[in-house]
Amino acid sequence: MKQVGEALPRREDGRLLRGRARYMADLAFDDSLDAIVVRSPFARARILSIDASAALAADGVVAVLTADDLVGVEPALTRQFYSLTPAFIERHQVFLGPYREPVLARDRVSRMGEPVAFLIATDRRAAEDAAELVEVDYEPLDPIVDPLRAIAPGSDLVVSDVPGNIQASFHIIVGDPTSAVEAAERKVSGRFRIGRSVGSPIETRGAVGIPATGSEPLTVWSSTQIPHILRAYLAEFLRCPEEDLRVAAPDMGGSFGGGIYAEELLVAFAARLLGQPVRWLEDRRENLANARHSRDQIIDALLAYDTSGSFRALEMHIVQDCGSANLFGLTLPFNIASHARGQFAIDHFDVTGLCVLTNKTRNTPVRGAGRPEATFVLDRLVDMAATDLGIDPADLRHRNLIPAREMPRDMGMLYRDGAPMVYDSGDFPDQLRTALEAFDYWGKRRRQDEAAGSNLALGIGVSSHVEATGLGPHETARVEIDDSGTVVLTCGSNPHGQSHATTLAQVAGETLGIRYDRIETRFGDTGLLERGGGTFGSRSAVTAGAVVHGASVELRRRILDLASEMLECDPADLIIRDGYVSPRGVPGISVSFAELATGGAPLRAEDEFVPPTVTLGSGTHIASVAVDRETGVVNLTGYVVVDDCGTVLNPMVVDGQQHGGVAHGIGNALLEEAVYDEGGQLLSGTFIDYLLPTAADVPDIEIIHRPHPTPLNTLGVKGAGEGSTASAPGAIANAVVDALRPLRIEINELPITPQRLVELIRAAEAEQVEGLAGN
Amino acid sequence: MTRDLHSIVLNVNGDEVTVRVEARQTLAGMLRDQLGLTGTNLGCEHGVCGACTVLLGGRTARSCTLLAVQANGRSVTTVEGLAADGDPLHPVQQAFADHHALQCGFCTPGFLLTTIEYLDEEPEADPDSIRERLSANLCRCTGYHNIVAAVKDLLERRTGR
Repeated sequence: MKQVGEALPRREDGRLLRGRARYMADLAFDDSLDAIVVRSPFARARILSIDASAALAADGVVAVLTADDLVGVEPALTRQFYSLTPAFIERHQVFLGPYREPVLARDRVSRMGEPVAFLIATDRRAAEDAAELVEVDYEPLDPIVDPLRAIAPGSDLVVSDVPGNIQASFHIIVGDPTSAVEAAERKVSGRFRIGRSVGSPIETRGAVGIPATGSEPLTVWSSTQIPHILRAYLAEFLRCPEEDLRVAAPDMGGSFGGGIYAEELLVAFAARLLGQPVRWLEDRRENLANARHSRDQIIDALLAYDTSGSFRALEMHIVQDCGSANLFGLTLPFNIASHARGQFAIDHFDVTGLCVLTNKTRNTPVRGAGRPEATFVLDRLVDMAATDLGIDPADLRHRNLIPAREMPRDMGMLYRDGAPMVYDSGDFPDQLRTALEAFDYWGKRRRQDEAAGSNLALGIGVSSHVEATGLGPHETARVEIDDSGTVVLTCGSNPHGQSHATTLAQVAGETLGIRYDRIETRFGDTGLLERGGGTFGSRSAVTAGAVVHGASVELRRRILDLASEMLECDPADLIIRDGYVSPRGVPGISVSFAELATGGAPLRAEDEFVPPTVTLGSGTHIASVAVDRETGVVNLTGYVVVDDCGTVLNPMVVDGQQHGGVAHGIGNALLEEAVYDEGGQLLSGTFIDYLLPTAADVPDIEIIHRPHPTPLNTLGVKGAGEGSTASAPGAIANAVVDALRPLRIEINELPITPQRLVELIRAAEAEQVEGLAGN
Repeated sequence: MTRDLHSIVLNVNGDEVTVRVEARQTLAGMLRDQLGLTGTNLGCEHGVCGACTVLLGGRTARSCTLLAVQANGRSVTTVEGLAADGDPLHPVQQAFADHHALQCGFCTPGFLLTTIEYLDEEPEADPDSIRERLSANLCRCTGYHNIVAAVKDLLERRTGR
């Protein structure tokens, strides 16, 4: 039965629709205690003293842990998430400073929300009541909030061992950018700001630590994207072997950005110390203040081109506001750099990136992670160039897209994994043509002027992006047939909405000759699988898909070998249908998986997939907007996506990922901003102030697949989870500029809030009036 | 702080229950922690995201910002009340499944109950009003596209359009 590529219904839905999911807060453990984090109210301060005596005396309080109580463990996270190869470091002039993030603050706090104490009580309400009684005496210091000030000479330091507040940096040079810029006939440039946003899954984070028993190791349940990596961090923190730990993820209510957080470590420490399960559940204010902050760059960029419209060179200088600690090293600015040229042939390229520490929450990769930022900047530069040259942006794009015949194309630099960055597959011109046609671009352009005149201005914007997906280093899966004849699929990558239980079972099911919905699936539990990667960087369909396929092929071979002995028939003459093996053309004779499984030898195959490097997904988006000139409100009136994620495992699921990504990008483009004041206080602490897109903010989205399978894995799959986030900001910004083209405004800052847009409109109108008066 | 308990009687998913609650216990807290109905999810506890939406006397209510004692004598429908285990899905649940209108599922119970109220109050509603009505609930996964499609399908089936 063909399953891969079919829009088969999701197996996850029944439980979820009936309210039978088991999210973090739904798990119950006997004798469980509840913890709450006492957090710094200041962005930067000395801690003079902590007095927990009143809290300890309160009803139900079991313990109040501070930095002094973290005995026998590592007091801080110090290992960065990704390692870099020496060749990469040399080639791209990488500087990497120390990373140190205290598990609980000692002597000083470096951001609002930093954990200072971990209070454990018999229940959540007792913990919340008592937390107010923990007296921390702070001496506030002037915080460093603006990253440009942070790197100015003479700035105070966020941490003493990071001089100049530059924690990491790199410099990429491809070709001869200096000469190319000098020789180019035309240039456009600008300073672009991408607002800080927050991943904001609808479920907040949570973790439970459970002490070791005779049979079970110390266990942490956490709403994590990376159970195996969390286990490695826990082992370092607790100074114990990884085998002494189990990490498992329950059902998760979204995630949108990975990472390691202090609370996941503290529940383990507290459970071990107290001999009882300790649960910590985040509330929304904590989530918006502490978890998955992202974007937040200032990018100076220049595009050089000829009067013929041919792009010559791109220069970028990226200042990445990392907040108070930089777990992810170069990841975000380097992602911007490696995606900065997008789908265009630009031979000369010069990018510097600085990771700057400030007294804000730690910045992490969130859906898109650098691609939306890179794409927005490039989309804007291309449209600015089109205006400068007086040609339509779609035409200018067409002239500069990398042609399909030049694939694969070496981009002249290394990717973060140390491999040469090569665009492996895709047909960008076809993608643009398909999008223009589906959108009726030229027709709408013609009608655009007829519709003008009211207070609403209509605009159209185009964006195209690339996304390196399927990041390594590895993923593991096991496929087996248990005693009852049930096929059981276990994989290291765990889902938080991405439909692993459907799509990966489709891959295994098609290979093994059994319907996907008869396969039992297990994910995200180090107790079930010794190794695993996780779910991030649009990697699961690629890495988990490939490894599930590999393991399934091997299991199929073993099934056929065993069945050939039992049926006395050559394996090549056997077929599998619905879990029964029969000689081809003789359906009356068969042996079932259950009969094979009772044969003695375990029917099991485990595989590990190590991708050679990332594979390139891509997409082209076109958005149309109606801008209210009076209020600055932008309404999306149309949206088309043309996408290349290689082989599509399940089009229904992939479309769903695209819809969600576009909505996330719309949030980044128009609504979402984590705002700090000059004192480092977060002003956007609830969903009343931090605006997620609602159904009314998102238009109907048309999705067209133009797949070009990658040669880099057996399925031909490229990632699809994040790419669509990348193009929404650029497409929308270009559409808004287009709508207001008589005013010649430039949009260089995200989000495009009504307030910002009204200011731009008023300033442009004032300039026009002045211009007229001057005539 | 006082921890006096109050006895309340209410109808939950068709069954009359008596529960002893603290005055400060929220309706969501009572449903989840005391009745074990964990299908009602807490997303923000500020009454914004709508994940905790239940029907109170047939109308949607945010169970995170209501006190349990306020539900005394009322009837409450949670997601668990839409289809008993083993029974077919409620038509709204089925439409969500048919249209892939859920991914992680965390916001889904709230969307189901918001949709049920909408279809109940405005069986002849103009499909153009769907997005406005659904903007009471937040979803981060689906981009709303397929939720809107599911609700539109339900409306069209009702009106035969």
